[in-house]
Amino acid sequence: MSSENKHESSTHHLREYGVQTPGTKGIPGKRRYSMVIDLRKCIGCMSCVVACKAEYGVPLGVWRTWVMVADKGRYPDSRRIFMPRLCNHCDYPICVRNCPTQATFKHAEGFVLQRYNRCIGCRTCVIACPYNARHFLPAKRTNNNLPKLVVDKCTFCIHRVKKGLVPACVQACVGGARIFGDVNDPKSEVAKLTAKEKVTVLKPELGTSPSVYYIGGDWEIMDETHNYKHRSAQQKAEFNTFKRNHHGDAFADIVEGENTMHHVGKNMSDFLASIPHKFHDVVAALKKLLFA
Amino acid sequence: METLITYNAVHHNPWGTPITIYFWLVGASAGSFVLSAFGWVFGIKRYKPLALSASVLAIGMLMIVPVLLIWDLGKPFRFIYLMLPGYWHGTAPMAWGSLLILSYPVSMFVYTYFVIKNDQKWAKIIGIIAIVLALSTHWYTGVVMELNPGRYINHTPLAPLLFLTGAFISGIGLMILVLWIKNFFMSEEKKIKWALMEEMAQYMMYGIVFDCFLLFLDFMQTQYGTASENIGHHEVLMNIFFTPYIMLETVIGLLLPLVILCSPLKRTRLGVYGASLLVAGGVYGMRIWWVMGGQYMQSFY
Repeated sequence: MSSENKHESSTHHLREYGVQTPGTKGIPGKRRYSMVIDLRKCIGCMSCVVACKAEYGVPLGVWRTWVMVADKGRYPDSRRIFMPRLCNHCDYPICVRNCPTQATFKHAEGFVLQRYNRCIGCRTCVIACPYNARHFLPAKRTNNNLPKLVVDKCTFCIHRVKKGLVPACVQACVGGARIFGDVNDPKSEVAKLTAKEKVTVLKPELGTSPSVYYIGGDWEIMDETHNYKHRSAQQKAEFNTFKRNHHGDAFADIVEGENTMHHVGKNMSDFLASIPHKFHDVVAALKKLLFA
Repeated sequence: METLITYNAVHHNPWGTPITIYFWLVGASAGSFVLSAFGWVFGIKRYKPLALSASVLAIGMLMIVPVLLIWDLGKPFRFIYLMLPGYWHGTAPMAWGSLLILSYPVSMFVYTYFVIKNDQKWAKIIGIIAIVLALSTHWYTGVVMELNPGRYINHTPLAPLLFLTGAFISGIGLMILVLWIKNFFMSEEKKIKWALMEEMAQYMMYGIVFDCFLLFLDFMQTQYGTASENIGHHEVLMNIFFTPYIMLETVIGLLLPLVILCSPLKRTRLGVYGASLLVAGGVYGMRIWWVMGGQYMQSFY
């Protein structure tokens, strides 16, 4: 373990309460799966988003991974920059610490995973995650066998990694921008890249110790406050359209520029409308039991 | 030329109106219960006549809470996991809250039983436990959102104090209104005395002053704080949540009642009942901006 990592372990020990597995970054003999995203190679084709959606049947309106787009500079000295986003599989995940039923946990090899059978759908982890990496699955899904009304997130494709494959988004990346591997193994590409290149992480000030590293990251697109302040008119319009069209799951969706109190009331009616869906499975099982 | 964000996935804000109502109900319940304890726990005898009404009001409001919270879960039947060994997670604020929400009403029921039995000794003992649980339950509602460092508006140690002060004033406000209505149905000797209502209004005024001070502290923090806090205040609270933050909480819930209670109107029934109504309603504005405003900025990230 390097002196830097020793220092990190000693200063972060208080954060390990509530995390079922201590952080493994830099600990010899332990695997620590990480991802490096080389933004110089990302062309914004969204193949990773599509691959992820196909791999898991991610419903409309929610994402396990997505790509942010920003325009930098002014014509003719302008360029478009991209930044793929996903769960950071933090070493000190706030979502794990705040989950009241241990539904989400830290795997010994670095994955932050979700147990659907333990999740009560309280969405505390969604509130806790500083990276928006968690989403709530809707009541109605095309495939009824897939989980509903629980929280879901990126798993770093643990089912593929265990078979020696890379995550779906990494395999689909046409520019080779996403690189995945064990950062504790000095021979791995991610270890070499994090040692050689200047890498940055999202919101380092929160001390979550993310496992997704960016090469060539632009601070303006990485900063949440800048994002909010410099959102385009197009993004505002998309936001409002999205918030108007996704009802029925009792979210606190406020449409910008419209009466807040109106949306507070609308949110309550959405909540009431969502109640029958929550009891649907139990009622169906009871009906089956009684009238079979 | 700074970078302009042209596309990003839009995210839902997970906690909505049911949670804001829950925060308001728990607060008003805790505030009412404090009044109930004045007579039996703190020994202020003139408050004893209203103890039963106050604890019944506190219990009544708290009875709505589990319905809201459980129905708000994605899997309502799994609420029991919050208390099961092997599931319960000691580091999660919500796990503490689930135990508090369970034990607080039980202690209130037992306390109310001893109040009805006129058993001073046990009412005091259970009352002390219940008042600690009442304050803890509402303290937890502040903490459950505070302990999320990524939510800049909520991440302040003032949160539990803001919640508890709001609880105290909204609880008194509601209690005054309930006693006013109750007096219509009571015989002359059983009616709650006007002097007592005036005294309660006086306590409410002290609470309002303290709440204004806390809001001022929060305001200073956002002005001199980080860019996130600053923009969170200016562009989210003062813009998107202007109605609940400025109009409902600050003007209707605090400033107007403060003006009324500092003027000769405080000696009139209209003044006291009016101020009580404004405070009880205005505190709900704080619950809205606290819950929904705290989540808003990050939904663009």
